[in-house]
Amino acid sequence: MIAVLNGAFDDISKAVRLYRVWIALAHEDIGDQHRRTTLGPLWMLVNYFAFVSTFVFVFVTKDASNPSYPAYVAIGMLVWFYLSEIITMSVSLFQREASFIQGTTLPLFVYVMRLTMQSIIRAGYSLAGCVLILLLSGQGIDTNWLRSLLGLLLIVLATPAFIMVFAFLGAFFPDSEFIVGNLMRVGMFLTPVFWVYSGQEGIQKYAYHWNPFTYFLEGVREPITAGIFPTHALVVTGYICLGTWVLALLLLGRYRKRIVFLI
Amino acid sequence: MTSIELNNVSLVYRLFEKLTLSAPGRRRSNLGGNIAKSGTKQVVQALDDVSFELKAGDRLGLVGPNGAGKTTLLKVLYGIYQPSGGRVSITGKVDALFNISIGFRPEATGRRNIVLRGLISGWTMAEIEEKMEEIIDFSELGDFIDLPFKAYSQGMAARLAFAIATALEPEILLMDEWIGAGDASFQEKAKQRMDELAEKAGIIVLASHDDALIRRVCTKKLTLRAGRVESLT
Ligand SMILES: Nc1ncnc2c1ncn2[C@@H]1O[C@H](COP(=O)(O)OP(=O)(O)O)[C@@H](O)[C@H]1O
Ligand SMILES: [Mg+2]
Repeated sequence: MIAVLNGAFDDISKAVRLYRVWIALAHEDIGDQHRRTTLGPLWMLVNYFAFVSTFVFVFVTKDASNPSYPAYVAIGMLVWFYLSEIITMSVSLFQREASFIQGTTLPLFVYVMRLTMQSIIRAGYSLAGCVLILLLSGQGIDTNWLRSLLGLLLIVLATPAFIMVFAFLGAFFPDSEFIVGNLMRVGMFLTPVFWVYSGQEGIQKYAYHWNPFTYFLEGVREPITAGIFPTHALVVTGYICLGTWVLALLLLGRYRKRIVFLI
Repeated sequence: MTSIELNNVSLVYRLFEKLTLSAPGRRRSNLGGNIAKSGTKQVVQALDDVSFELKAGDRLGLVGPNGAGKTTLLKVLYGIYQPSGGRVSITGKVDALFNISIGFRPEATGRRNIVLRGLISGWTMAEIEEKMEEIIDFSELGDFIDLPFKAYSQGMAARLAFAIATALEPEILLMDEWIGAGDASFQEKAKQRMDELAEKAGIIVLASHDDALIRRVCTKKLTLRAGRVESLT
């Protein structure tokens, strides 16, 4: 156990010292994705904007009583897209990095941070869009926004752990790429991204309370849309974050040398 | 002091048995390691009880038919593969050239790729800047250095890869059969540089099918067959 954790920390500390590598590679990735477009990375902003407006446009009539609905969807989408993107991308992470993993001795955590960095940069564009929508929808800037930062911070902290767990899953069970991909597509409807839970019975109740994503979303959203401090959501998110990190460290320590033989 | 020592190193690849409807009979092959089954998995014994020792200044040529285990051995030396059995002890800073295109981004310029490759090999920004002009000179790429890497020919890519890998004077340099990609004048330069490296008490391990190249460059020759050492001279 100690040896396993030592292995994991060794990998991580080597990767941290190579921080220039993953920062440079993440920038290249973003650049490559948009190299031949005129709008460049601004397309990410446009995408996000289009998605949120569609949902607001379609659902706002039903929920006319809820003036903070645009903000609700905007924040929900921001967090959901971020989480669903890192999870779907992680399952095939080691596969995508195969040529590096089989040709260099970079620690695996470098690839984890490369994806973390890339996702955070992309989310930055959505975040700009989100702030814009919040302002347009009449949510004045106030100190409640600061309370959301804690939720965002926890999400960022949990990111490398999520990536590792799903990356190892994908390496050991290649089929999981498709299972996870499908689950995430369905997951958007089972998570309170655009629907509001107000105590109904039935499937919505379970989808709200037993869905870990709910808490990640609410930790960021409640301070702004409901004006409350999301203690419960943050505690649950904190535990999920901790549990995922422990699992991730064990996997990394135990299996990092096996990955090269699996891809 | 730079050195490499391998004791009874073995390496097996485990492959998951895929469901198949084809006939189970297998043909014997003169190539490759030994295929065997263990439980539900197929395993390939790529290295079997390999032992040898190299001292500073040694230049080892690795030869053997396709699938003999040359690439696998180089990757064990580099630290990509952990051997399934035996012991590897290496003293010295290792750099390796396996696949020419590893770590090169097709869309980025040669210059940017030098930076990326340098960072991946653990160089500092200062070291990269210091070596930049020398690498460009040695590769003789001229103005091509500011074009995207995808516009390079195989040989040009090989020049750049070699120039980068040898720029920081690694103590141990591992190379997999690829150097043939360069033209004659480049091969001459490459040989000179390898001579210099070896004179500075480095170790070079070079896998190749080109006997003339091995004779020109190497001081020792290790023949592998089906993962075992056939001869070491
Ligand atoms: N990733 C791999 N998975 C399974 N078997 C492999 C893998 N790589 C190489 N092998 C097997 O290991 C043996 C040695 O291969 P290799 O070291 O590439 O030989 P060489 O470089 O001498 O041509 C071969 O039998 C090959 O089929
Ligand atoms: Mg080979």
